[in-house]
Amino acid sequence: MLTWIVFIPVAVGLIGFLLPSRIVGWWALLGTLVSLGLAISLVAGFDSSGGLQEVVDESWIPQLGVRFQLGVDGLSLFLVLLTSLLWTATVLWSALQYPDRPRNYFFMLGLAQTATLGAFLAQDLLLFVLFFDLMLIPFYFLIGQWGTGDRVRATIKMIIYTLIGSLLMLVAAIATAVLSADSVGGLTFSIEILRQVPLPTGSQYWIFAFFSLAFLVKMPAFLVHGWVADAYKACPLPVLVLLGGVLSKVAAYGFLRIVMPLFPDAAIQFQDLLLIAGVVSILYGSAMAFTQTDVRLIVAYSSIAQMGFITIGIFSLSGSGGDGAVIQMVNHGLVVAPVFLIIAILAERSGTEDVREMGGMARNAPVLAVLFVIVAMALLAIPGSANFVGEFFILKGVFETDVAIALIASIGIALAAFYSLRMYQRTMHNREAAPGVSREIALREAVVVVPLVLCIVGLALYPGLITTRGENAVDRSLAAVNPDPQPAPEAAAAADRGWTGYAPVAEGSAP
Amino acid sequence: MSVTTWGWLILAFPLAGSILIGLLYRVLPAKAAGAIGTLAIAAAFACSIAALLAMLGDPAEEREYANTLYDYAGAAGIPFELGIFVDQLSIFMALVVTGVSMLIHLYSFAYMGGDAGYRRFFSYLNFFVFSMLLLVLAGNYVLLIVGWAFVGYASYALISFWYRRKTATAAGMKAFVINVIGDIGLVFAAILLIKELGVSDYTSVFEKAPEAFTTNEWTIVAICLLLMVGAFAKSAQVPFHTWLADAMEGPTPVSALIHAATMVTAGVYLIGRSYPLFNLAPTAADIAAFIGLATLLMAATIALVVTDLKRIIAFSTMSQIGYMIVGVSIGAYSAGFFHLMTHAFFKALLFMAAGSIISAMAAIQDIDRMRGFRKAMPFTCAVLICGALALAGFPGTAGFFSKDEILSFAAVRGGMYWIFAVGGYLGAILTAFYSFRIVFRVVYGEPCEEAKELEGGHIHHAAPVNPATGETEDYEVGFPAEEHHIAEREWPMKIAMSILAFGALFGGLIQIPGVTDVLGHFLEPVFESSPIASTVHVSTTDAYIGMTVGGLCSLLGIGAAFYMYMVAPGSTLRLRDRFRGVHDFLFNRWYFDELIDAAIYKPVVACGRFANDTFERVVVNGLVRGTSGGVSGAGQIVKTAQSGFVRFYALLVIGGLAAVGLYFLLVAS
Repeated sequence: MLTWIVFIPVAVGLIGFLLPSRIVGWWALLGTLVSLGLAISLVAGFDSSGGLQEVVDESWIPQLGVRFQLGVDGLSLFLVLLTSLLWTATVLWSALQYPDRPRNYFFMLGLAQTATLGAFLAQDLLLFVLFFDLMLIPFYFLIGQWGTGDRVRATIKMIIYTLIGSLLMLVAAIATAVLSADSVGGLTFSIEILRQVPLPTGSQYWIFAFFSLAFLVKMPAFLVHGWVADAYKACPLPVLVLLGGVLSKVAAYGFLRIVMPLFPDAAIQFQDLLLIAGVVSILYGSAMAFTQTDVRLIVAYSSIAQMGFITIGIFSLSGSGGDGAVIQMVNHGLVVAPVFLIIAILAERSGTEDVREMGGMARNAPVLAVLFVIVAMALLAIPGSANFVGEFFILKGVFETDVAIALIASIGIALAAFYSLRMYQRTMHNREAAPGVSREIALREAVVVVPLVLCIVGLALYPGLITTRGENAVDRSLAAVNPDPQPAPEAAAAADRGWTGYAPVAEGSAP
Repeated sequence: MSVTTWGWLILAFPLAGSILIGLLYRVLPAKAAGAIGTLAIAAAFACSIAALLAMLGDPAEEREYANTLYDYAGAAGIPFELGIFVDQLSIFMALVVTGVSMLIHLYSFAYMGGDAGYRRFFSYLNFFVFSMLLLVLAGNYVLLIVGWAFVGYASYALISFWYRRKTATAAGMKAFVINVIGDIGLVFAAILLIKELGVSDYTSVFEKAPEAFTTNEWTIVAICLLLMVGAFAKSAQVPFHTWLADAMEGPTPVSALIHAATMVTAGVYLIGRSYPLFNLAPTAADIAAFIGLATLLMAATIALVVTDLKRIIAFSTMSQIGYMIVGVSIGAYSAGFFHLMTHAFFKALLFMAAGSIISAMAAIQDIDRMRGFRKAMPFTCAVLICGALALAGFPGTAGFFSKDEILSFAAVRGGMYWIFAVGGYLGAILTAFYSFRIVFRVVYGEPCEEAKELEGGHIHHAAPVNPATGETEDYEVGFPAEEHHIAEREWPMKIAMSILAFGALFGGLIQIPGVTDVLGHFLEPVFESSPIASTVHVSTTDAYIGMTVGGLCSLLGIGAAFYMYMVAPGSTLRLRDRFRGVHDFLFNRWYFDELIDAAIYKPVVACGRFANDTFERVVVNGLVRGTSGGVSGAGQIVKTAQSGFVRFYALLVIGGLAAVGLYFLLVAS
């Protein structure tokens, strides 16, 4: 089933080239709906006490030991669902707006979805790297061709940054396989096999550094976030939903999927460094979001802060920090998506994205205001939202690891309250809008935004949906680094029988 | 039905009311929305009474009921359940909250009439009551935080109700952010509790805490201090008090409900609820009591000089909550909650009366402009005097009994706790003075223009101008509605105010020392394990000595106000000119706002500006330039080379992927 989930979007995109351009958007929507349906059935059939599930394991390039391995566990389960959901939203939104050159546009979206889902599901290191790099291409075209403003500069910046990261990661992945070849008996990229025999500490350190840099750039984190402002400004808003909502999560997910199991010594060694990087991202992102006047950039910098929270959660190297990071990844994607769509609505009405010139939108648009306020409250992680659960878990994990970091990080919460509300008030309140500017949300906008907001509310009512399913996978991911492991009994049992249920690839064997 | 079923119903009605009004805002006639809102709260009040009756059927020691709906988000050893806990304390709070809220809804039903946001108002107001009830009924510390934050949001929404006003939205923001700081304190307190004890529900926490902590161990002191951060942010105690005066930007019923009667007392509830923890950390409890005392005195001094009618009452609220905080921190638990109840009556009443007067003044709130409403608004003036008497602690009124119970406890406990008695009585003199400052200025004297106009049978109207900025406004969302409503002409307002006036005058009779002890007896099982409550006994004689002193303080304050405003009018002006420095210091609220602005807000903004203007441009973008330079030379060549390179890379990856895909297809067959 996972193979279907991964490849349906790109196949749909390809078939789209044969269809009349009027209906290609609806065809793409059908494709994303099928993916969404599959993702939902994946969640429904998920066994929260089990390990890796729905495993696909095919020989691919036996000479290099590369296998086509897919699998889903508690780490990726809801990220797959989030990806499918946000792509559905974006495609529906775009289909209603009739973009230029629709065949190309929807093909690029499909390709991007395939790459993203592939990255979330890949269980082979090289396969992950390939999907991870593949994500870049459709976004390059989406921003470069359908973007606004200074998109050439934006795409170049983005490509330089992420390409360097990607190349480092490719080198690191190959090095991991080559260096472990002797100890695991042959060249293999299978994460499950590699994790059983960790590399010598010295190699772990530099490989860890390469992977971390790639992920931090993608996230983005402080100091390597130079591409963010331009890319966010140039990116078409529906695509920004994906860029801000999903792509950054691939990086955070990479830490849990790859870095923690494969380079545990390095993770422990550099824990403080990454905690500091995370906390500085929180403060810097918040302070920037505090002073921006461009609505998009407020969200962009707030994302840096939120990803900082996720980073410190992961690098608290504790169960609750990891659980918090997993749920927070989903929460953040789910919140950022409607924020960008609402920004699109506001920008369309007021003709500007500068908060100094906006305001008073709530006057004739109570429904829009309610939707926005729910989203803004979730963004600032008001207790009672699923975001609060994520932050609470993260803070608990960090608190037990390093009290000072937790206390400093909490400043970010207070600042988040300020910049989220500021964004809301400056756009919706404070003044009388110009005549005709304050208009209620239209049906074609509401069909996208309202379901997303309902998802936020639904998740707020029962965040346990994610935490109960993520717990085991987080414990497994952190098994090698958690100084105080408290694995659930089922997890311990699963570890005894090996967690994937398939045998390691023996030397020279082919299926 | 069981007590907890009633408990869930108490929560369900206001939430349902809020959602129903919100969803049907287009089709509901305005008055229907008001009626639904009011009835929902009345239903919650009825359920509270039903829960009380069900509870009274059980023996006093067994009146604790917990019930869990489902596991909200438990994982990684963090307990997080959606559960309520009902005992005497929470049912007492629920009764006060629903009872007073019901009356304020009734008042708003008329008072807010004609406002463009009438339905919105009732939806918010219902949501607030739901949040407050969630706060008092929550069964564990984590769910408490949820109720705590929802209350903060509701308060924000209602302060910014007239959202066209920049002063209102700014005030809402301030209240919200300070409340979030309080939330953070609670979050860390909960994290520490879970870390040390592994549980978060009240019963288990209080069971395990005495075994896990030794008295005054730093952990438990830290937990209590963090709880205090939350409590003080919500209850507007120093140094988190600055939002409350600004919160008066909201409609007057909001000030009455949220910023006087219910929400701001949440801190008192929290400290009272967590008394087993505070008993383990007497140092923290003493700090709390001292902060309460400091707030009590500071706010009272500010209330002496502020001229905005609503803000005088707001500072008075801070001051009165100071009494309650002192009470629950020094061990006078039932006295603290008794004062919470009586304060809810008379403070809500004062705000209602103020709202009626402000309507008559066409939204002017400056008491310097008001004079002589005695004849124009006899009913309003009568209840205003009732409220002022109770606030001043005039012998026999509700405030008299409740305040003295706290202070005589402090005196009897002795030692350094004498300070609280002395400070409290000093505060009582100030309180009496400023409450009657309002009465003598507003009720008596030569009628002002507006009062004369009203005597002629017409309510004054004015151009919509924001009193704070002088900015011209509109009636739609930036100014109280075009029609004003005064109690004299609206029966719902009259009923609500009459009931509260009755409570303000006679509510104290349930706790006459040596005669009745209804509330103390009811709450006793909750606090029976407290070592303070069991060792300090206030004898009837002590209580009457305290009441004599309190009564004298009250009369002294009222007398001084009578002299200054009635006998020798103008003496206050001379005093002001004589002590210009003191007056300015008090009038500017001890410069707390300026201090916070300079110490916190400005530096953060400056950091943001620096990051934006300098750091981002020089360092971060410099990094890009350096990187791109490193990749392929410099200048114009970079651009062309880059884009060519990118295209090539893209083609390579797509082509390569297609190739391996094909290979895969071939091999896998």
